[in-house]
Parts: sequence; structure tokens; C-alpha cells
Amino acid sequence: MRKKMLFFFISMSCSLQLLAQSKLTIAVAANMQYTIQELITEFNKANKTKIDVVLGASGKLTQQVLNGAPFDIFISADKEFPQKLADNHFTLEPPKVYAQGLLVLWSVKPNIQPAKDLKLLVSPAIKSIAIANPKTAPYGSAAEAILKKYNLYAIISSKLVTGESITQTSQFIATRNADIGFTAKAIVISGEMKGKGKWVELNSADYPPIEQAAALLKHAKEANEGAAKQFYNFLYSAKAKAIYNKFGYIVK
Amino acid sequence: MIALAPLWLTLKLALSTTLILFIIAVPLANWLSGDKGFFKIIVKTIVSMPLVLPPTVIGFYLLLAFSPANFFGHWLEEWFDIRLVFSFSGLLIASVIYSLPFMVHPIQSGLSSLSPSLKEAAFSLGKTRWQTLTQVLLPNIKPSLLTGIVLTFAHTVGEFGVVLMIGGNMPGKTRTASIAIYDEVEAFNYHNANVYAGILLVLSFAILLILYSFNRKMQQTKFY
Repeated sequence: MRKKMLFFFISMSCSLQLLAQSKLTIAVAANMQYTIQELITEFNKANKTKIDVVLGASGKLTQQVLNGAPFDIFISADKEFPQKLADNHFTLEPPKVYAQGLLVLWSVKPNIQPAKDLKLLVSPAIKSIAIANPKTAPYGSAAEAILKKYNLYAIISSKLVTGESITQTSQFIATRNADIGFTAKAIVISGEMKGKGKWVELNSADYPPIEQAAALLKHAKEANEGAAKQFYNFLYSAKAKAIYNKFGYIVK
Repeated sequence: MIALAPLWLTLKLALSTTLILFIIAVPLANWLSGDKGFFKIIVKTIVSMPLVLPPTVIGFYLLLAFSPANFFGHWLEEWFDIRLVFSFSGLLIASVIYSLPFMVHPIQSGLSSLSPSLKEAAFSLGKTRWQTLTQVLLPNIKPSLLTGIVLTFAHTVGEFGVVLMIGGNMPGKTRTASIAIYDEVEAFNYHNANVYAGILLVLSFAILLILYSFNRKMQQTKFY
């Protein structure tokens, strides 16, 4: 009996170790929440790597990395946050852009029809407008930029409801707690949200391009550098590009 | 320069919550401290729930309840033109629920610890139930009342999860000090976060210090 138990524990710990060997933890910008799942599935058709995903606003994840979070790869929603990590020597190589994101205006209220010119936001029928925190979420700062460009920001700022990431923002809109809001195209055209309410793509010339970059982090060296590099390179492969395309990103 | 609005808002929220809860909790605790019954046990359980539930559970249900897409939220909007989510009133309701046990428990245990003869004497001298409560029982449990008030206040100041879920981080309306700290840390403004955090730290220390020294004094003088 004892021997059996011992054997059991030894084999358990061995298998745990095996698991640990091919495991990655990656920090992913919230707008990629659906895209990343498909990327991982595609990647694992040829590999057997367990990839844990930590979702959040890019600024928040950057903050976590700077404070020692054990992430192997950081997939951001902009270029600045990964660059900040590079400047602080947290990356193994300079970050690279993998796709460009698009901003949409979305509402699931039946009587609201989102329009490109954003004029409807001024209407008294719209009481709350969801936006991601501009300080930490690149889609939030893009939304703020377009509102300022159209000279609407000052008028509607009292209606703005801030989500801590683009996922919380989308959740505010999807649950109708906010009448309308700004989110990522990748979220509204994903499987889960498809067909919910109405959205319109905003004029991409009216906000700074949301160039999304990823970085291979130093922590990968301590854990599982081979697998981390493989997945990092996969993010720039033709297969990955096809997935970005499918989720509404612009790929160059 | 840091904005003082989050601190004022926190103070306003904590004071309003404490006041409302005091009004609710005194009769509730009085009723709960009386004879036992199965119904009372159920109410007691419900009152204690916020102690063990993660704030996110309360936040999640309130978010669903307040949403205009659902019955309660829709009804409020249709009939009263009120939307509770992302508003100060919404936070206030959430805080009242969330801090309920912190007010009820001390008062209830204070009332239970009083000798029944006190109540009986008051009744036999012709006092009504209400007079007995306000003129005889409550003055005898001042430390418990103070504990309830202080804990509720402090707990509301420390509220974070619920506010994060239903607040929407609106400056002046729902951005409380605890949210402001989170926000500043995320935005790399460690200095501002430090100022807010420092103020809350000193405030909590002062509040608890006052409570404990007052209760000690009360206990020393209790039997004179």
C-alpha cells in the first residue's frame, strides 16, 4: 500500500514537472481576449504547450511586469507600453508590431443606431457612454482622441463611464448598463458578441493608429525560453496573420 | 497635484452609509436580539452573508439588478427615471448591503448582553417598547453603538471590489479613494497613489485608536 502511494506521488510529481516544462504564462491586452484563444489553438496544432493567459488593460499588465509578474510574453494593445518594458530592460529583444486594431462605437440598445459622426452622443437619450480607462487602455486613449478631435469631449465628459480595461468596457455595453460605448472591433465581431446590438467602425484617420506590439520578456529565460520564442515567433507568422484578419485587425 | 474629490466622495459615501445603516440596524438588531425563532435565524444568516461573500458576488448581482436590460433596472428607469449603475446612489445601496453586518452585529450582541431584568423593569414601570429601547437599552450599550458606527464607517472607506464593478470610475461620482489609488498605480503615478494611501492609512489608524480608547474609558466607568 505504502509503496503504491509512494509510486503514485513520484509519478505525480514527475508528470507535474513535465507539465511545467511546456507551460507558458502570457500577458494579453484585453482586446485580444477572443483572438488569443484561436491563436493558441492554432499554435497547439503543431505544439503541445500549455499557455496560461492573463488578460488586462495593457497599462495594468505593464505595471505588473515592472513589479515582477512572471510573464513570458506580453501582447499589448499599443507600442508604448511594451517599449516602456524594453526601456526598463524587461524584454529580450525590441518589441514588434503584430497587428493594427480598429475602434468601433457599439450599442445593444434597440433604439440607438451608432453613427460615425458621433453626434448622437450629445443626445439626451444617451445617458452613459462607456470608454476604457485612457490612462491604461490604448483603445480608451484612442476613443478620447477621437472625441477631442470632433470637439465632443468637453460636452459629453460627464456621461463617460470608465471601464478598467476594454473587456470591462464591453461588458458595460453588452449588459446595457451603458447605453453606448467605444470598444475594439475584435470584440464585437468575435463569436461571443457577434450579432449583439449594432456597431459602426470609426474613421481610422481620426485617431492615432492603434499599432499593437508584443514583446518577449526576460522571465522566459528563467522558465521555458524555447517554447516562449516559438510562440512569440508564431505571433508574426502567416497563420497568425490570417487569424488577426479574421478578427478585424489590419495586418501589414 | 492630487485631486481631493475622491477623498471627499469617500467621506460622503461612508457618512451616508453609516447614517442609513444606523437607522436600519437599531430596530433590526433589537428584533434579532429578542426571542429565537426559525425565521430570525434566516434573517440573521442573510445579514451575515456580506461577511463571507466576496465583494465581487455582491457587485455582480447588483450589476445585473441595476442593468436597464433587466427587470428591476428597467422598472426603475421606466417609472422613476433613475439609473443606479455608475451613480452615487447605486454605490450607496451597495455599501449599505455590504456593510450591514458591521453595524448590526455589534448592536445585536450589545443588546443580547444586557440583563433581561432591565427591559422588564422598564416595561413594568410603564415604558413603551420604543421608550425602553431609546431611553433604557441604547444608553446602556454606547460602546456597542460606537463600535458599529466606527466599523461601518471604516469598512465603507475600505470598500473596493463592489465599487470597481458597479462604479465605472467616474470622477466626483463614483471614483472613491480606494479606486483612485488603484487607478493611479495602474497609470504609474506612484506619488499620487502614495498620497491617497497615506491619508487612508492615517485616517484608519486614528479612527480605530479613538474607538478603542473610548471603549476602554467606557468600560472603566461602566459600574459607577
